[in-house]
Amino acid sequence: MNALTAVRSLTTLPVVTLGGDAVAHVKDTVFDPEAGRIASFTLTGRTLLSGPLPRDLPWAAVHCLGRHAVMVRDEGALCALPLSVARRDAVRGRLLGAHVMTDDGDLVGTVLDVLVEGGTSGRLVAFRLAAHRELVHGTRHRRHRVYVPRGEALSVSGRTLVIPAHATTYVTDDLPAFTARVGAYHDRGGRAAS
Amino acid sequence: MMLFSRVRGLPVLTLGDADRVGVVRALTVDAGSGEVTHVRIRRGRMRKEAVVAWDALGAVGPDLLIARPAGDPSGVPPHHDLVGSRVLTECGEERGTVLDAAFDPATARIEAVLTTRGELPAGRLLGLGDHALVIRTGHGHPG
Repeated sequence: MNALTAVRSLTTLPVVTLGGDAVAHVKDTVFDPEAGRIASFTLTGRTLLSGPLPRDLPWAAVHCLGRHAVMVRDEGALCALPLSVARRDAVRGRLLGAHVMTDDGDLVGTVLDVLVEGGTSGRLVAFRLAAHRELVHGTRHRRHRVYVPRGEALSVSGRTLVIPAHATTYVTDDLPAFTARVGAYHDRGGRAAS
Repeated sequence: MMLFSRVRGLPVLTLGDADRVGVVRALTVDAGSGEVTHVRIRRGRMRKEAVVAWDALGAVGPDLLIARPAGDPSGVPPHHDLVGSRVLTECGEERGTVLDAAFDPATARIEAVLTTRGELPAGRLLGLGDHALVIRTGHGHPG
């Protein structure tokens, strides 16, 4: 399994070609909630004042997503995607800041960040929540460091994200232990389905 | 075998009259083919630096380089310093910075690159650009 990366930390990451040239910086990450993965990145220019680029980086053109750079094969990977502007507003806005509900109808918190798998998968693995008191007890600081694995039956409607109720039993505030938890979650989900 | 750090600062003389052109400032590298392609020569404080193709050098000694009368400098690739550049794997992970590189002066082939995180065989180099030297990850990785 590849390392988990918080999507908010991807902003300002350089986009580097295999030839070693930095061609842009990541501005925002656009999700494809149905597929449960990153759809594309919106970009800014390389310098401080260059502003947003009118070009996008679709996930299919990403060679590898690392901790220090988004690698692309060459500059041709960036393409003008007029659709993505509409998509960014429609999709990205729904994940960061969206209300999280279980399929039992309990409101458990709001999405602060999204954890994705790096490398070539770009799979959406988990959410960092600002959890409500019903889910996690403790201080506000502690409740803002809560991770919930992405359920297989993820659905998005408007500003609300619905996760399976049993996913909330895998809540953890410890990111290093989280990878193991996600593995346990998937094992259990597999058995329950069969 | 020769080191980039040893070549830097060597005087460059012309072949005919042993006139001093300047001193070596840097070597331009084609990371894809793993070869030294050009020598950049500092000629003096107010003068533009000269670029000589590695093939156009008459002789490469441990203490000086001898250049044939230079042709036109057209078709010179953009220069990026190998020494001091950041090392990035093709998976986007940083692997230190380049400290030095060893090459064979006869064939101009780079033999190894020494980084702050250890030595890299020349076969792993993919490209050198303005941001980083990109290297292949170890075997077993896609791409």
